[in-house]
Amino acid sequence: MKNHLVFVALILCQIVPCPALAGVPLDTVKGNVDKVLDVLRDPSLKAESAKKIKKDKIMAIADKMFDFTELSKRTLAQHWNKLNAAQQKEFVDLYTSLLSDTYADKILQYTDEKIVFGKEVQLTEKTVEVQSTVMRKNGDVPIYYRVIQEDGSWRIYDVVIEGVSLINNYRAQFREILANKPPESLLETLRKKVGKS
Amino acid sequence: MSAHEEAAKKDKMVNLIPISILTAVLALYPASLRADTFLINPDMRKAQLAVPDANMVSQMLLSFTAPGAEMQILLTQYNETEEKMIVKPVPAEKTYVPDESEKETPQIFDPLAPVNKIMFHVNDKLYFWVLKPVAQGYSFVVPELVRIGFGNAYDNLRSPARIANNLLQLRLKRSGNEFIRFLFNSVVGVGGLGDASKGLLGIEKQEADFGQTLGSYGLGHGLYLVLPIFGPSSVRDGVGLAGDTFMNPMIYVSYFYLNFWEGAALYTHEKVNDTSFRIGDYEAFKQAAIDPYVSMRDAFVQYRLKKVEEARH
Repeated sequence: MKNHLVFVALILCQIVPCPALAGVPLDTVKGNVDKVLDVLRDPSLKAESAKKIKKDKIMAIADKMFDFTELSKRTLAQHWNKLNAAQQKEFVDLYTSLLSDTYADKILQYTDEKIVFGKEVQLTEKTVEVQSTVMRKNGDVPIYYRVIQEDGSWRIYDVVIEGVSLINNYRAQFREILANKPPESLLETLRKKVGKS
Repeated sequence: MSAHEEAAKKDKMVNLIPISILTAVLALYPASLRADTFLINPDMRKAQLAVPDANMVSQMLLSFTAPGAEMQILLTQYNETEEKMIVKPVPAEKTYVPDESEKETPQIFDPLAPVNKIMFHVNDKLYFWVLKPVAQGYSFVVPELVRIGFGNAYDNLRSPARIANNLLQLRLKRSGNEFIRFLFNSVVGVGGLGDASKGLLGIEKQEADFGQTLGSYGLGHGLYLVLPIFGPSSVRDGVGLAGDTFMNPMIYVSYFYLNFWEGAALYTHEKVNDTSFRIGDYEAFKQAAIDPYVSMRDAFVQYRLKKVEEARH
């Protein structure tokens, strides 16, 4: 009889996502966000001249926090397969520097907003959405991080701000370029935007 | 340990073997199944390509326009890649495999794009040449606490619209909470200058608007519109905006008690006060965008879709 119970429990464990996993994605994202906040609040980096150091430190954290390849792949979706290996690599690099240039500046403007983490929602077996809210002076902004488990660690592949998915938004923009032009012209547009042409 | 116990233990060990094999099979089974059907049944991928749910009207509108042709191209593209995959499998990390949780954003019908683009540029210049410098000067002169108070007071006047729309969406609890909040903030918060309800009653703002209400009834966007000053909107949300404006007491105050210029000044102040908290947002958006017009249009569609989905729950 006892054996049957073990058996049932083992099967259940396969069907239902293991409860032991719960909390890990949230803790991972929260840990990384806290690290970024520590850099931003660091009194020794308050000076305007320390901006570059701050940015570099944040980028180092972001590198571990995000899965830029997954993010790129999901942005291009079916168009991803059109790019050859070299183009894919260049796309990931250009897209990463576009995102870090624009969002690092935005993050550096951070003052003292409070960030509250909410619940996590299982999307698929490998993906989870970690929900958080940024309390701004004129209202709250919900920010959801979508993370994927790869080699045992959880990394971000999409950020959803007030219902607007980052990768969906870029996909809409890239779609117009890729609809009637080759992948090379997309790379050219990105090179110009990032300033590496 | 008695012989009997030892036999039982051995029995347990033997039983564990088939269990662990079964577990291993079960664990691997879903993964292998997915990979196989993926290659055998290419229709699965095509099915995922189909424009998801969206709303009926915009889907109908879509079928009238060019995206149909684009879809055809995508489909042929898919067929090509599939053939290649069967002949020579590409390493897993090199290919994109659609995820069941991924939803393609529905596209909005935008036949007025040329006019909308002009309006987009007008709003852009309006922001950089007028709104931003004025809001910056204003926030330099007026202390933040006062600006927050003004913002709360203007927002308090939008409360009747929120009460009505929550009611129309049959979200009765939200409607009731917003009603209590409105009364409480108007009295205790002195005309809504302070959000006392949040601090003292623990009742937060219950957002709801008329465009969202119409959307929750199943009405689609119709056409995409870029409105002067207000920015991205649609036929549905434009009607919604008009509806909400008529539920805001401010319009009656300015109509009955103020002349045109005083009324305009009131609305301008509301806009400038609001902008003073958002300086930098639009700049960051523009810096991040490859095509700001498309980016804003898509963000609008995604944002409104989420609002409508929330109202349906």
